[in-house]
Amino acid sequence: MEQENKVRGTIIKISGSVVDVRFPTDNMPSIYEELRVLVKGKEASMEVLRHIGGGVVRCIMMTGSEGLYRGAEVTATGAGISVPVGKCTLGRMFDVTGRPIDGKGELPEGTKRLPIHRPAPSYEEQVTSSDILETGIKVIDLCEPYPRGGKIGLFGGAGVGKTVLIQELIHNVGTQHGSYSLFAGVGERSREGNELWGEMKRRGVADMTAMVFGQMNETPGVRMRVALSGLSMAEYFRDEEHRDVLLFIDNIYRFVQAGSEVSALLGRMPSAVGYQPTLASEMGELQERITSTKNGSVTSVQAVYVPADDITDPAPATTFAHLDAMTVLSRKIAGEGIYPAVDSLESTSQLLEPDIVGDEHYRVAQRVEEILQKYRELQDIIVILGVGELSDEDKLVVHRARRIQRFLSQPFFVATKFSGIDGVYVKLEDTVKGFAAIVDGEADGYPEEAFYNVGTIDDVVKKAKSIKV
Amino acid sequence: MAADIVTAKVTGRVPPSPEAEAKLTEIISEKYGAPVKLVFERDSSVVAGFRLTVGDDIYDWSLERHLSDIKEKLSRSAAAENAGGHVSAEGLIPLMHEAIEDWTPRIVSETIGRVVTVGDGIATVSGLSDAEYGEILLFDGGVRGLAEELDEDKIGCILFGGDENIKSGSRVYRTGKTAGIPVGEGFIGRVIDPLGTPLDGKGAIAADDYMPTEAPAPGIIDRTPVSTPLETGLLVIDSMFPIGRGQRELIIGDRRTGKTTIATDTIINQKGKDVICIYVAIGQKASSVAKIADTLASHGAMEYTTVVLASASDSVPIQYIAPYAGCTLGEYFMKRGRDVLIVYDDLSKHAVAYRTMSLLLGRFPGREAYPGDVFYLHSRLLERAAKLSPELGGGSMTALPIVETLSGDVSAYIPTNTISITDGQIYLESNLFHSGQRPAVNVSLSVSRVGGDAQTPAMRSASKSLRLLLEQYGETEVFTRFSSDLDETTRRSIMYGELLTAFMRQPKNSPMSAEHQIIVLVAALSHAADGVPASRAPEFALGLCAYFDEKLPSVSRELAEKKTLSDELREKIVTAATEYALEFIGSEN
Repeated sequence: MEQENKVRGTIIKISGSVVDVRFPTDNMPSIYEELRVLVKGKEASMEVLRHIGGGVVRCIMMTGSEGLYRGAEVTATGAGISVPVGKCTLGRMFDVTGRPIDGKGELPEGTKRLPIHRPAPSYEEQVTSSDILETGIKVIDLCEPYPRGGKIGLFGGAGVGKTVLIQELIHNVGTQHGSYSLFAGVGERSREGNELWGEMKRRGVADMTAMVFGQMNETPGVRMRVALSGLSMAEYFRDEEHRDVLLFIDNIYRFVQAGSEVSALLGRMPSAVGYQPTLASEMGELQERITSTKNGSVTSVQAVYVPADDITDPAPATTFAHLDAMTVLSRKIAGEGIYPAVDSLESTSQLLEPDIVGDEHYRVAQRVEEILQKYRELQDIIVILGVGELSDEDKLVVHRARRIQRFLSQPFFVATKFSGIDGVYVKLEDTVKGFAAIVDGEADGYPEEAFYNVGTIDDVVKKAKSIKV
Repeated sequence: MAADIVTAKVTGRVPPSPEAEAKLTEIISEKYGAPVKLVFERDSSVVAGFRLTVGDDIYDWSLERHLSDIKEKLSRSAAAENAGGHVSAEGLIPLMHEAIEDWTPRIVSETIGRVVTVGDGIATVSGLSDAEYGEILLFDGGVRGLAEELDEDKIGCILFGGDENIKSGSRVYRTGKTAGIPVGEGFIGRVIDPLGTPLDGKGAIAADDYMPTEAPAPGIIDRTPVSTPLETGLLVIDSMFPIGRGQRELIIGDRRTGKTTIATDTIINQKGKDVICIYVAIGQKASSVAKIADTLASHGAMEYTTVVLASASDSVPIQYIAPYAGCTLGEYFMKRGRDVLIVYDDLSKHAVAYRTMSLLLGRFPGREAYPGDVFYLHSRLLERAAKLSPELGGGSMTALPIVETLSGDVSAYIPTNTISITDGQIYLESNLFHSGQRPAVNVSLSVSRVGGDAQTPAMRSASKSLRLLLEQYGETEVFTRFSSDLDETTRRSIMYGELLTAFMRQPKNSPMSAEHQIIVLVAALSHAADGVPASRAPEFALGLCAYFDEKLPSVSRELAEKKTLSDELREKIVTAATEYALEFIGSEN
């Protein structure tokens, strides 16, 4: 019965991932509708991207095109690509079409699904809150507090601890706040996905997390849509279960890149640096859905890759405008053995204002930045002349700056297996108190090592005692 | 609908007899469910029998067809069991036998296409309406092509052979096969082209299987983290940028900075380590590749190495498919639980080949005129290198892609793309190379993201702080270039940095065992060798290893067995190294 109602078309053209399908002119699938086709006996999905006239629709394949032929029969499903949503997605791993890829079998029959293309919440539904999301990570809470329901960009070169920081955020915010997390792996390395999956299971945070992957070995169609799949799953928790959700996207740049790969095949003229002309609107459509509403909040942490080391490249430049806070990870700081390797001088947050964070927090954060900035300027002189040549005032700056730098490090829960040190969660007030003690000179007496890899200022005192003994 | 009359064309030397005509009409009308009109066409090239054409379908009862059947059978078995072009006499007789036994007239239904345009290694073909995307098409004259673009009324096809014998109007057949290469144990030790044909004149290769060149990469749960080192035998890399089995480490640098040497040295160092090596040459001079193969052979490395050659004179599609072909061969071994090392030399030329092909196929250019999917071109290739989970046999494929930069510009399009795909990069600098620092590895710009987990505890402990020291040396050296009066500590730390840098020099084709590397590192980092002039450091390192082999062979043995560096052992190395250093410095005066 159902079979009879389905609209059928035939493939007439194949060019890489882009396929043209002819349908009866009076019964054409709509844009974003999912079509199915058999490729070598396996069912594959494609999505309608545009109508090009004469009953022909132009589609993007979600798998490789090898094995497709002209004349192959295509079935319209009558709906867009959808993904399973709800509690049963937690602890599981999916592909772009919501198929489990963790080898744990299919989801139960009748699982609720949502389409991946959904409108952004309306103006009316928006909530403007400037609540701080406490992460328990000192450097973040102090220098670039994350807004609850806001968007955070994580800029970092490779191997500086981006993944560890993301895992720690999932762990902390998940365990301390009872939030669900959603991880969308977009066009990154499959190896990293494997490591993250293993790590989450070991740490026991997997049960609070749903994961969606479309890595760099997948076709551009997948990489272009997988972020949306993750987003729909997150939106369900926000809209239906009224939860505060954490959404991690690694890496948002790949979303833009996949769009540009497809753009030329769709027949669009290339825009600046070969990107798609629709770059800004595609990014806008995605980013505007990541927002907090009256129902609940979605806080997103998005890794951003900077292509060709060019920060003015249209892709990162378009991303900037959508972010509320930026955390910059630096290879130099990682080289000094300080983890998380956050460059607190480069990182920013719109929340770091006295009327939001409070006067004391603001004062301490400003002071910390001043001291670190001054220390950075002095460093060149120290390299050549040594600390001995500095004025007493500058010596004090160096003295405190080195303590601050060390105090910004923190043992991570997810890094316990490497460091052998248990992770700590530091409350925001303890963070502010600790740094206040350093900038005000109350902690000058403790040795530098006491500040390294500890939680609160009380831990410093304890560690200092143990060093002396 | 049923009223449509099917026109069937009979081609032959003589018109069919009335009985035959009646029989044919009956068969065809039954098959097509429509009345048939037979048309006769005289063609003296049909020696005996006739050929029947209905629409795109051909039914062949001609002698010519049987001859071409035999020809195809011959060339097919030649390709499968020998690929060299000649069939041995033993192979030929059963083959002829088989062909004669099969000599019963049969109906062959096949569709046929015609070449519309041809040139620049690209052909457009009409007909073949059911050809698949990525299918191999066979042209008259035996040239093969790959269906890359299926348009409504034509097929864009890239040719794996010369286009001079293909004419507009010549015939094209489907093969039903996707692009692939024969694979098997027999390919080890051979030089082949990307279609699996041997180029070294050593005769046929027996293939175990035929695998498609485009295959999906292992999924997320099919993998397992990198845990075993793949030793390059180069001190500078194994100590600071260790590579693990299943890792993808990019070798990047200007032309003539020793990129290929690092790759070949690594291959040479795999001797006796049970690693199968594949060297894929893309767009290179055939003579340079011959030289590389000679070098490998003279070090006994060809025994476990396959060279896949797509030279600069090969057609662009051949160059395009070369790395995928090499990768497929590697996968064959990886899936059997073996460890594979594959070198792609180099992917910049591969990207250029792909750009040529894309532009000729009429796709839009993007950044630097590369097509938009040039990232995907390399990401889907390099993602196929992996460490498989134990359930899948635990095999691995380590990839060392090479990318050439122009005047050190790593921020160009292809370099940044590949950097963001791989698990790290070894950055080679021409300034270092010309100042004699070889391998010319730039310490601060090179990185290995996963290999650290694969390092042995002994190597990790021995190389601790080396990278930091060298990086700091690099920084201070810049500062102190401008100042003449340095304090004693700075001066000494610079001299030390200079010495450590000199220790990283290593002549080519002379890999160092992990044990020797540890001995040298411990000696250098414990200040035991401080008196040695930087210019003689490599000589000292060689001497030191020989000294240990002769006087204290137990050290290497213990390191090799336990893979850890105990404090006593470290002490032992330092003491002996200090002694040797005195002797070494003394010998100079």
